[in-house]
Amino acid sequence: MMGSENILCVKGIKKSFGGVHALKGVDLTIKRGETHCLAGENGCGKSTIIKVISGFYKPDAGSIEVDGTGFPVMTPAEAIKAGIQVIYQDFSIFPNLTVIENLAFNQVLANKKKLVNKKEFRRIAEEAVKKINFDVDLDALVETLPVADKQLIAISRALLDNAKLIIMDEPTTALTKKEVTRLFEIISDLKENGVTILFVSHKLDEVFEISDSITILRNGENVITCPTKEMTEEKFAYYMTGRHFDTQVVKEVNENKYGDVVMEAKNLTAPGFEDVSFELHQGEILGVTGQLGSGRTELSLALFGMLKPTGGQILVDGKEVEIKSVSAAQKLGIALVPEDRLTEGLFLPQSIIRNITVSKMDQLANKAGILSSKKVEAESAKWVQDIGVATKNHEFPVQTLSGGNQQKVVLGRWLANHPKVLILNGPTVGVDIGAKYDIHKLLRELAADGMAIIVVSDDAAEVMATCDRALVMQAGHVTGNLSAEDLNAGTLAQATV
Amino acid sequence: MNKFFKKMVKQTEFYVFLIIVVLSLVIQARSGLFFANNNIVDLLRSMIVPSIYAICALLAFVSTGPDVSFPLIAALSSYLALIVTNKMGLDGAPWIITFIIGILFGCIMGALNGIIIVRYKFPSLIVTLGTSSIFSGILLGAFEAERMDLPANLAAFGKASLITVKNAKTGLGSTLPMTFAIMIVIYIIAYLVLNKTVVGRGVYAIGGDEISAERAGFNVKGIRFGIFVVNGGIAAVAGLCYAVMSMRYLPTEYAGGEMIVIAAIILGGTRMTGGIGTLKGCLLGTLLLTMVSNSLILLGISVYWQKVFIGAIIIIGTAISAIQSHAGAKVKTRLKKEAA
Amino acid sequence: MKKMDSNIKRLLIILVAFIVIACVTKPNEFIKIGNFQTMAKQLSEYGLMAIGVGICMISGGIDLSTVYIANLCGILAGLMMQGNGSIAVAILVALIVGMICGAFNGFLVSYLKIPAMLATLGTYQLFMGIAIIFSGGSTVSGIPEGYTGFATTALFGYIPLSFVVFLILIAVVTFIMSKTKFGTRVYLVGTNEKAAKFAGIHCNAVLIRTYMLSGLVSAVAGLLSLARINSAKADFGSSYTMQCILIAVLGGVNPNGGFGTIPGIAIAVVILQMMSSYLNMFPSISNYYRDLIWGIALIGVLIINFVLDRRRTQRLSKIS
Repeated sequence: MMGSENILCVKGIKKSFGGVHALKGVDLTIKRGETHCLAGENGCGKSTIIKVISGFYKPDAGSIEVDGTGFPVMTPAEAIKAGIQVIYQDFSIFPNLTVIENLAFNQVLANKKKLVNKKEFRRIAEEAVKKINFDVDLDALVETLPVADKQLIAISRALLDNAKLIIMDEPTTALTKKEVTRLFEIISDLKENGVTILFVSHKLDEVFEISDSITILRNGENVITCPTKEMTEEKFAYYMTGRHFDTQVVKEVNENKYGDVVMEAKNLTAPGFEDVSFELHQGEILGVTGQLGSGRTELSLALFGMLKPTGGQILVDGKEVEIKSVSAAQKLGIALVPEDRLTEGLFLPQSIIRNITVSKMDQLANKAGILSSKKVEAESAKWVQDIGVATKNHEFPVQTLSGGNQQKVVLGRWLANHPKVLILNGPTVGVDIGAKYDIHKLLRELAADGMAIIVVSDDAAEVMATCDRALVMQAGHVTGNLSAEDLNAGTLAQATV
Repeated sequence: MNKFFKKMVKQTEFYVFLIIVVLSLVIQARSGLFFANNNIVDLLRSMIVPSIYAICALLAFVSTGPDVSFPLIAALSSYLALIVTNKMGLDGAPWIITFIIGILFGCIMGALNGIIIVRYKFPSLIVTLGTSSIFSGILLGAFEAERMDLPANLAAFGKASLITVKNAKTGLGSTLPMTFAIMIVIYIIAYLVLNKTVVGRGVYAIGGDEISAERAGFNVKGIRFGIFVVNGGIAAVAGLCYAVMSMRYLPTEYAGGEMIVIAAIILGGTRMTGGIGTLKGCLLGTLLLTMVSNSLILLGISVYWQKVFIGAIIIIGTAISAIQSHAGAKVKTRLKKEAA
Repeated sequence: MKKMDSNIKRLLIILVAFIVIACVTKPNEFIKIGNFQTMAKQLSEYGLMAIGVGICMISGGIDLSTVYIANLCGILAGLMMQGNGSIAVAILVALIVGMICGAFNGFLVSYLKIPAMLATLGTYQLFMGIAIIFSGGSTVSGIPEGYTGFATTALFGYIPLSFVVFLILIAVVTFIMSKTKFGTRVYLVGTNEKAAKFAGIHCNAVLIRTYMLSGLVSAVAGLLSLARINSAKADFGSSYTMQCILIAVLGGVNPNGGFGTIPGIAIAVVILQMMSSYLNMFPSISNYYRDLIWGIALIGVLIINFVLDRRRTQRLSKIS
């Protein structure tokens, strides 16, 4: 049986939440058997449209047609019945239960079964893992499995329901390069078996690698839909943001301007990486890149006193130092903008003031530890202004800000300490392209003023746009040291494979 | 077999079991009285009420968070059941009628917890603290409940015994009341529901990940509400068992029982953050704490030391599980690295 | 000064409304200096423990052991005063023991990472056990008059000294929590411990000091009650634990940590004490009605805060 040419055809979807128009008439047409990419900045309406398609939100206007059948009102159950499955970023799993239960629950519940039949559970689970030849201990607790396996559980579970259209929401976020490759193989297999994929991502290289066509949304509206081969990087960035960026303009490498060596690592070893050596000069931006699990994050933590080195030396200003705690790192003039802004970087419900001044309280208080509210407010106001945090009042909770502005708050906190060495781990993850550009520009300016910066990132474009030089890490070792001349997309890709 | 053994050593319950074995052997060696029939029966007898409470604590912890209201639900629903039995002249009816009346009242009180927790997503600890206070106010303020004798049907039920033993050596006797059978029945039902029904697995699922559970099609709110209703019913049973075993109703003796029960189930491997915990663990944890409070005297340790021991066991037990879970997290990151 | 905290405003309105009702309905009994003196004495003790519970809740934990720290300290001080022991030394020892108990709680919560509720559940048994051992399970009495006189003395002839102590401690703790580095850090650790670590806050040290402070104010509460009731007992005031949590939440402390103010807790203490004293003026109403009213108040306040907070967040998101 062959339905219509389009597996999914939604037209003129509108959806607003309390006066905020999240979707202002979005169209999305996906051809049967293709891999379609949905791209857009944070807040463009990507996740809202997914929820509309999967029946979790009821649109205010517009039509949904799945495989030629119109759905005036779509419910989650109907969406699943029609063959639509969503694989969420968190994979929607139960870490405390076994693989079997994770795989079987959906179907058991859909069939309105009331009792647990162990044999049936196992049968369902075996059927599910067979669909993608996924080799896993079915009795293991899911929390003991690596991230990639958790994702495969989600995928095989989705296939159980005879999915025709699988929506993958940012599926590669937590995966290593190897795991991404495997995921892409699975996607190709699925495609061969006639399953259509809607791949939601903002990562350029992946979008180009995997998709047949692209739809880009901006501010809840369609910007363009076209075959992937007609898309270029510049166009992609432009369509996403509506702004033109010259990716090369921010970077002016001039090795002569480097000052003294500020920080040096000699054969540094800690749990997660081994034998890492580098020198960092004043005014230099050093990239540290590598896949998830390559030890890049651990290296940044060790330099910041959060991970105890088991061997090697760290030298700051030529003197060997032992960085036992974050406050010790702080005293040495080292600052770290952590990887996960929401859980590691910010105190979300607290005011912007507190978020900015938290690490400078020692200077803002007198000897008895009493804070001067005048000084605190002045300091916060200064950084809100200097770094361009868009807010009306810095007494507002930081969670009322957008992602880019939140990241600026974390940056401002550390810049307030006038660090000699600024380490940024994934400085623009989940940040809009516009804010990303601002942050990159700021980093170049800071370096030009003599700050030594380490950018830890798995985003090749970011490393190229900001760094003077880059260390490439793999499985805990430095496997490449790319100088400014060697630093380009090709060498980075080669080194990190 | 090997696999079974491997799985067993990974469980907290196994270690609690080991500690119980060691402790009982030590007590036996020191006093020679631990494995005496009357001591075992005494132990089982003392376990009845706390182990029924433990199911309330387990269900709440696994799915939502701490519930501290069960002692007062037990007190109030038992009181109401007894009053209704007396007023309606049901004291000649089978004991189970009184229990059913109590369970109904308990369920209503549990429903109050459930509504507030599900509707507003408040921390269950604070909500159940508040409702405890309300129930206490109703019981002692509005009803001015006082100690009273049991209606005839419950009194008769309390006098009946399952097993009566007499220690030949010491001449001490002990009886295992019928309430022990009630406890066993509740455990069997709870086991079947938690392991053999989809809703029962849903209790664990929502404790593991609420959003995933909702997406999978579990009725998260319904299950959560249901748990608190059921908890109310179970608490009522525990409350009536307590009255039956004391042979009279003592309104002020209920409050304060919750903490030690929570400690017992945490020792038994229930995870504070939800999703994990077994009935086996409930029984073992309760047994361990009951042993400590009942049998210290057999070791020649003054009763004055009892609280210190219980406190120390709670601290050491929770410290071990806290340290273990940290070690577990480290192993996990290492595995992740190896996988990469 | 900035706009007043909206929660404190609400609490003050409730307080004033209540005083008006009480004065109108029971003018003869309520508006009596003796009534206020009794209230002031009673509330000082559990008020202090509620402050202890409150700061621990702000730090993201809870302290269930305050009552037993108070009892232990009261017993130790009482035992040392018996006979002709030095009162000053006894007080000093009690305060130090209170801080040690608190530090132990803090150690369990921070270094061993035991959930605060369980850690303090364990230590409450432990402290009670130690108190039982010291007191031999009985009431410690025979407190010298030189000490108990403290409870009967009043400043300017009107204000009971214990209430003065309460007020001073409220002021000190308020200052610590709102104006010092340490206080700000307690709020931040309570909001997000991981982020606090990344921001260079030594979380373990902050937590230990928080619980020490809680232990210290509890010790003061124990000393006050020793003077007032002339004796100390290991299981005295068991119901205070729940009351203290209730007061802290009523006073606006967020049970998840990170938010709440000391004046809020203090006002909640006063409101609750007035309510229960007021109820005592109706002989026909059982004392236990208090529990009912407190429970309803707790849940009512939670719901009101929930609704108002949601509105506020929505408004702020829209503005920015």
